[in-house]
Amino acid sequence: MLKEAVDGQVTVVCNTIAASVQFQVEPVGRWFEAFLKRRDRNVSASFQELEEEEELSEESEDEELQLEEYPMLKTLDPKDWKNQDHYAVLGLAHMRYKATQKQIKAAHKAMVLKHHPDKRKAAGEQIVEGDNDYFTCITKAIEILSDPVKRRAFDSVDPTFDNAVPSKGEGKENFCEVFTPVFERNSRWTSKKHIPKLGTMDSSFEEVDNFYSFWYNFDSWREFSYLDEEEKEKAECRDERRWIEKQNRASRAQRKKEEMNRIRTLVDTAYSCDPRIKKFKEEEKARKESEKKAKMEAKRREQEEKERAKQAELDAARLAKEKEDEEAKQAALQAKKEKEIQKKAIKKERQKLRTTCKNWNYFADSEAESVKMMEEVEKLCDRLELVSLQSLNEVLASGTKEDSKAAVEKQVQEVNAQLQKEKEAEVQARQAARSSEQASSGSGGGSKGWNEEELQLLIKAVNLFPAGTNARWEVIANYMNLHSTSGIKRNAKDVINKAKNLQKLDPHQKDEINKKAFEKFKKEHAAVPATVDNAVPSERFDASGAEANTASWTTEEQKLLEQALKTFPVSTPERWEKIAAVVPGRTKKDCMKRYKELVEMVKAKKAAQEQVAAKSKK
Amino acid sequence: MAAIGVHFGYTCACVAIFKDGRADVVANDAGDRVTPVVVAYRDKEQIVGIAAKQGRIRNAANTVVKVKQILGRSFDDPEAQKHITESKCTVINKDNKPKYEIDTGEVTKIVSPDEVAKLVFHKMKETAQSALGSDITDAVITVPFEFGEIQKNALRQAAEGAGFSVLRLIHEPSAALLAYGIGQDTPTGKSHVLVYKLGGTSLTVTIMEVNSGMYRVLATHTDHSTGGESFTHALAQYLASEFKRSFKHDVTGNPRAMMKLMNSADVAKHTLSTLGSSNCFVDSLYDGMDFDCSVSRARFELLCASLFNKSIQPIKTLLEQVGLSTSDVSKVVLCGGSARIPKLQQMIQDLFPDVELLSSITPDEVIPVGAAIEAGILLGRDCSSLDVDSITVDCCARDILVKEADDTGADMYTVLFPSGTPLPARRQHTLQGPGSLSSICLELYQSQGHNSTPQEKLAQIVLNNLEPKEDNHDIVTVVTMKRDGSLHVTCTEQGSGKSEAVTVAVAS
Repeated sequence: MLKEAVDGQVTVVCNTIAASVQFQVEPVGRWFEAFLKRRDRNVSASFQELEEEEELSEESEDEELQLEEYPMLKTLDPKDWKNQDHYAVLGLAHMRYKATQKQIKAAHKAMVLKHHPDKRKAAGEQIVEGDNDYFTCITKAIEILSDPVKRRAFDSVDPTFDNAVPSKGEGKENFCEVFTPVFERNSRWTSKKHIPKLGTMDSSFEEVDNFYSFWYNFDSWREFSYLDEEEKEKAECRDERRWIEKQNRASRAQRKKEEMNRIRTLVDTAYSCDPRIKKFKEEEKARKESEKKAKMEAKRREQEEKERAKQAELDAARLAKEKEDEEAKQAALQAKKEKEIQKKAIKKERQKLRTTCKNWNYFADSEAESVKMMEEVEKLCDRLELVSLQSLNEVLASGTKEDSKAAVEKQVQEVNAQLQKEKEAEVQARQAARSSEQASSGSGGGSKGWNEEELQLLIKAVNLFPAGTNARWEVIANYMNLHSTSGIKRNAKDVINKAKNLQKLDPHQKDEINKKAFEKFKKEHAAVPATVDNAVPSERFDASGAEANTASWTTEEQKLLEQALKTFPVSTPERWEKIAAVVPGRTKKDCMKRYKELVEMVKAKKAAQEQVAAKSKK
Repeated sequence: MAAIGVHFGYTCACVAIFKDGRADVVANDAGDRVTPVVVAYRDKEQIVGIAAKQGRIRNAANTVVKVKQILGRSFDDPEAQKHITESKCTVINKDNKPKYEIDTGEVTKIVSPDEVAKLVFHKMKETAQSALGSDITDAVITVPFEFGEIQKNALRQAAEGAGFSVLRLIHEPSAALLAYGIGQDTPTGKSHVLVYKLGGTSLTVTIMEVNSGMYRVLATHTDHSTGGESFTHALAQYLASEFKRSFKHDVTGNPRAMMKLMNSADVAKHTLSTLGSSNCFVDSLYDGMDFDCSVSRARFELLCASLFNKSIQPIKTLLEQVGLSTSDVSKVVLCGGSARIPKLQQMIQDLFPDVELLSSITPDEVIPVGAAIEAGILLGRDCSSLDVDSITVDCCARDILVKEADDTGADMYTVLFPSGTPLPARRQHTLQGPGSLSSICLELYQSQGHNSTPQEKLAQIVLNNLEPKEDNHDIVTVVTMKRDGSLHVTCTEQGSGKSEAVTVAVAS
């Protein structure tokens, strides 16, 4: 109980309040969350309360239902409940599928209050006995609409729903006006939440695309169980029930199919009529066209550019060649002229010499001498150069007979000596050629010389890389280049020629080469014991040379051996005997030896190939 | 949508699912609603739960227990050191972080406590998933109030490593309160709640203030030496002495026999919570000799009498500490498995004679259920991004009271606005004045200090010229306090609509 105010007391503030303090609270509970939300949104508690009140009032507004009277209600036949409009019966004709469960319940309550037989009886109305009263219709309506499954079934066949699909002709005219309501109407059947709108003429491509993909994948909940002709509950036995079920299922499936077709037709029609799609298609086409054009243009330009460059290059080359030709021509002319002049001069000089000699009677006393002298002079004329002829003529012209004679004789002697020399040189050259020919015995058309060391290396390489090696001759050539000391670069062709030559040589010659190599090796490594590993390849060659039988393994034998090696693994007892038995004409020892060789070869080959590979990588 | 709450305790872990508006604990694959936090390492596999606990007798060196004691602690932490000395598992020091050394056949594995915790969380996730039948990640994890930031982070990371998306870490006492929905129905009012948690190894007593549906920890006390295990240990010691009496053999020195006895005592202790007596039977306890002994509840209570007293003691000291009497506490929440012990419940009831003991939810499931409820609350939120696990809010410092006269005419004060109310807040009261009066005066006071006897007058509101009537004048008083603490009071007489308002400023 509050106290009475004493006289003179007025509303007054007489003190200040203590400031707020900060406490740590536990972050749990819905009130904490509410507090947090309030704080984040920076609103006061009272504001939130106001909001909540608003929400409440909204809810209460919902409850204020406006029920539409259904004038036919009293004339309804309860037996024909299947054909009645349940929404209309409950006075919800204006809400239909939008009515909430709450509203339906409220409406039902209102209807019951108004139309219950007891109530009407009290008001003095005549009541039809039993289930034939129209009140049964109301009961039926709430029964259908309060059950979500049944309500859905009824909604699916809502008699007020317009199933019509606009024709193409209609749609072409004013697309948006025609189709927007149709799609909005049909979108109630979807089970998805966010339904894309048809949009306007200015909708973007994404929006339109989204819209059509939604409708093409339309997932409808519409079902037609309400239209079932037979009622399962009416069946008398299980078989009949099954039969009815089957019938119903078939008709439902049929109707569902029709429905899907209807939607499909609708979307197809819309799609074909949609001016936006047309626009997008055209745009796309134009874009592609322009892209194509641009591409073509670019290609053409490139081609032109290329051709121009080529032409310019060709022109430049031609000009250069022409110029060169011209120059060469000039030079040739010049040379020819000079040659002619020289020729003339030499002719003149020769004539001079001859006349001089003749004048001097060839410095001879007797006829025979003079003839001989004449021969000599002719020889001089042939052999001597312009300059020496000139000088000789000068001497002859200025000097006395004795002097001239001496000079001529001296020249003759010189010429003779020269001739002799030339002859000797020629003989020697011929000899040398012959000997060299013999040595290389027609080696590939003037190939570079092969010395002992290189030959040895070649033999080694050939043995290392037997026939069948990948790019064998390149590998051998590379090997040679790597290991040779001469510094001469060999290519595969050189190597192949030389090797063929070597093959032609008789074993004796090979032997010689090897022996030489061995001697040289011995000389070089005098201190090193002869059993070094390096000597192995040559030894092997030796052996193959000496024992012709064991050395040359034919490819067939080789194959047999390889096969045998595979079939008898290392673990096989008496392996080598078995291998030898498989390879005809070979002993166990031969096989073992060959195997060892092969192992060596493979090892070396691998090493060399790696080197080549490394090199090629570089 | 569903969310789960996980309680990761020292000895047991438990998971509850919030689904369809209610939270419930789910049983694990063994059919137990709580899973022992025991991880056993074998050659190729890790076993979590009851199987690991049962296999502990043979595989003690490779079985990790009570990993929470060491989780997120440095090696030289005293708590960690205590754990290390007690653990049967080798613990090594690596960068000042404790790690378990697990010997699995040939190789020695180094396992961090985080990994062990991760395994346990993984097990809890599996349990929830199998119960729910679908993948679930959103979870609220509970932590003891005394956990530090590092330990909380370690726990959070272990949970995230097991595939949880941790919605929030909440304190165990608040989860217990939430499980009973204390203060959740109406956002007004203020009360004090005592949370008594007696777990496997620790005893925690917390006094919380519930105000406007929000919880605040006033004081807490944790005792790591008292727990369910100490009772089991006492019982096992008794059993050992019985064995010695009948067979003349001392098994206290034999660790394996003691472990068997402990297991048996554990079972007996559980039975004694519901039955009057229990039979302990251990096959070939020592040297092929079987042990059979019957323990009555009275015997057990006698054995543990001192321990019970020790468990109750912290309540009194804590109440003294915050200056509350037992009558100020409106509710007592029991949680932790050992809070089931009837004697203990009775002792607490004796301490709070006119207070209801909340134990309708099984004590060891209270905390996970609360966590699951919190998870359900958070699940509805779009963004529940809260970086800190506790948050400071502005609260009203003092009680705001109004002076009234009781039936005899003596002064009495009614609290209009309790201290500790989170601000801003608004409270509405309907005060009544005698209908015969034509003017009514409301005098507003604020309390001084904690107890509300010495008052300080803040303001007075006078409503004049009221029409006298037969029944009482209803004065609707709306008290609003802003975040800074300034007070606004509006009084309206319902009959005539006359109103007065005052604003009290904050002392600078």
